[in-house]
Amino acid sequence: MGKRISINPVTRLEGHGKIDIFLDDKGDVEDAYFQVTELRGFERFCIGRPVEEMPRIVPNICGVCPTPHNMASTKALDKVYGVEPTATAKLVRQLQYNAFYVEDHFIHFFFLGGPDFVVGPDANPAERNILGVIQKVGLEIAGKVIEVRKRCRDIMRLLGSKAPHPEGGLPGGVPRGVTEEERTVIKGTADYAVEFSKFALQLFKQVVLQNPKYLDLVLDDAYSLNTYYMGMVDENKCVNFYDGNLRVVNPEGKERALFDPQYYTDHIAEWVEPWTYIRLTYLKVLGWQGLKEGFGSSLYRVGPLARLNASKGMATPAAQAEYEEMYATLGMKPAHHTLAFHWARLIEALQAAEDMQRIADDPLLTSKDTRNMNLRLTKKGIGCVEAARGTLIHHYETDDKGLLTKANLIVATQHNAAPICLSVKKAAQAFVKGGEPKEGLLNMVEMAFRAYDPCLGCATHTLPGKMPLEVVLRDRQGNVIHRISRDI
Amino acid sequence: MQVPHGVRFFTIMKTLVLGLGNTILGDDGVGICTVREMRRVWPGDPDVELVEASLGGMVLLDLIAGYDRLIIIDAIMTTDDRPAGFVYDLTLDDLGEIIVPYASHALDLKTTVELGKRLGYKMPATAAIHAIKIEENTIFREELTPPVAAVVPVLARRIIAELALPA
Repeated sequence: MGKRISINPVTRLEGHGKIDIFLDDKGDVEDAYFQVTELRGFERFCIGRPVEEMPRIVPNICGVCPTPHNMASTKALDKVYGVEPTATAKLVRQLQYNAFYVEDHFIHFFFLGGPDFVVGPDANPAERNILGVIQKVGLEIAGKVIEVRKRCRDIMRLLGSKAPHPEGGLPGGVPRGVTEEERTVIKGTADYAVEFSKFALQLFKQVVLQNPKYLDLVLDDAYSLNTYYMGMVDENKCVNFYDGNLRVVNPEGKERALFDPQYYTDHIAEWVEPWTYIRLTYLKVLGWQGLKEGFGSSLYRVGPLARLNASKGMATPAAQAEYEEMYATLGMKPAHHTLAFHWARLIEALQAAEDMQRIADDPLLTSKDTRNMNLRLTKKGIGCVEAARGTLIHHYETDDKGLLTKANLIVATQHNAAPICLSVKKAAQAFVKGGEPKEGLLNMVEMAFRAYDPCLGCATHTLPGKMPLEVVLRDRQGNVIHRISRDI
Repeated sequence: MQVPHGVRFFTIMKTLVLGLGNTILGDDGVGICTVREMRRVWPGDPDVELVEASLGGMVLLDLIAGYDRLIIIDAIMTTDDRPAGFVYDLTLDDLGEIIVPYASHALDLKTTVELGKRLGYKMPATAAIHAIKIEENTIFREELTPPVAAVVPVLARRIIAELALPA
């Protein structure tokens, strides 16, 4: 008789975000399902509104990562109005976006992924948290994380009037330019961010890679998943967070597709499963093949490791050197090791910081040519960026007056939803045998989940709720056989 | 200096009243609506700052640091049998233990506040959380439902009265 294990991240959206693990009759893991909250009626809510309101509305989708939504929305407006932003506007947008990348990636690594590596997965649960990381690395380093974050947010606030909910978002440009005095400050922040990025990578190598136990964990098959990978690349097929084509590679790294995001519907399709609200995405040309990995699969991953896998390299020199070292250590490209998402995150933060330096030195940054006003309503626009967690697409269509008739969003967590199921399944398979979960199941499964840094329904905040996790073994009738819980 | 009889000296405290929520997810925006009502009916106080925010995670640290006293107004969903619109008066101790969040979107207030203290930020010495029960927050809309809307003016005035009292 099969059994079911449930992991319930109980949020303020209780009952809508959880992981179910199903056991077969032998008590071994048969399947895992990642259920996501659906926020309903977004399209209906937007229909009839002036499309230029969208950059102001969409940041409210998420109170933790609103910047990518604002940026994708703004780029969609560029297309809706058939206008190319000025060179200066593109620099300002990329500067704002890079600043977001630096602070977002560092917060994730030090305070979310950090407990898994810096403190250790076997550590006392009372220490395996943000405060344990501070204890281990010291107040000085923790303070530097906060400082780099503060400086980057100051740039975001300068350019977008608020952080993290930016106000700017104009088709063809940006709402304000940069002065020479501000350039100096920006340069200082960029230099600080580069130095700290290099330090963070050094710390990762010392704490994680030089510890055989952690390195084994990164390379462990329980945390490996053979999928396709998708990410945005520039004209040299190097990683780009703001603009470019989407490149897809197969599990061996061969290019499968390279396309303008305007044609995403030719390449990405959505599949509906009855056990989850989220529509699972897959590669259209391969057809839906179910939840499986390898060459017979049509699933792909997005996010830090996926972007590096899908590219031919990084766009900045120091990041490129780190990229080469990572793949040499992992022994393969593409790398299928899910925990390497954390490593890739740090390399991306370094590229974002180096790119901030490039932009800060660009003479055009302080030009007053910040807006192209040759607007021409085309009635359709697709804006695509690489959000920190993966590819983000905003698709708008309007009537003749510029009022929305359609809005569709595909967020990173949606692209990764099916792979997350598989990652959780593989991690659970290592820790559940014969119906009995081994000690540490909860955390080992959570580690797989946490590497993706998913956004469950993009709730705006988690206050005053808490995040208890619970593993429940049930029989087919739903009776509880065994329960492991934390913070209930 | 001779203190006149009957005069008491109170410590001036900087207070943050923080309304949290998402105003495009219906009742989830009740915290922000309450702060807006306070602005509408109250002339204000130079030592009290009213802030609206649709934010989560680490960003809360930026907002909260530097104040002596914190009042948060937010929506809450619970499994008890209280009706929508019921106001829970909570403290940080009611929020459970420090957590290991499974994602950056899951970082809660209590962990964020403790993080701020450990990093040497000046964090509020007192925190009052007024959490208004709602039934759901997954449908996009801008209006509050009637039972939740009814609480807004009452709670706004209650908090204004609280602010007039010594901390």
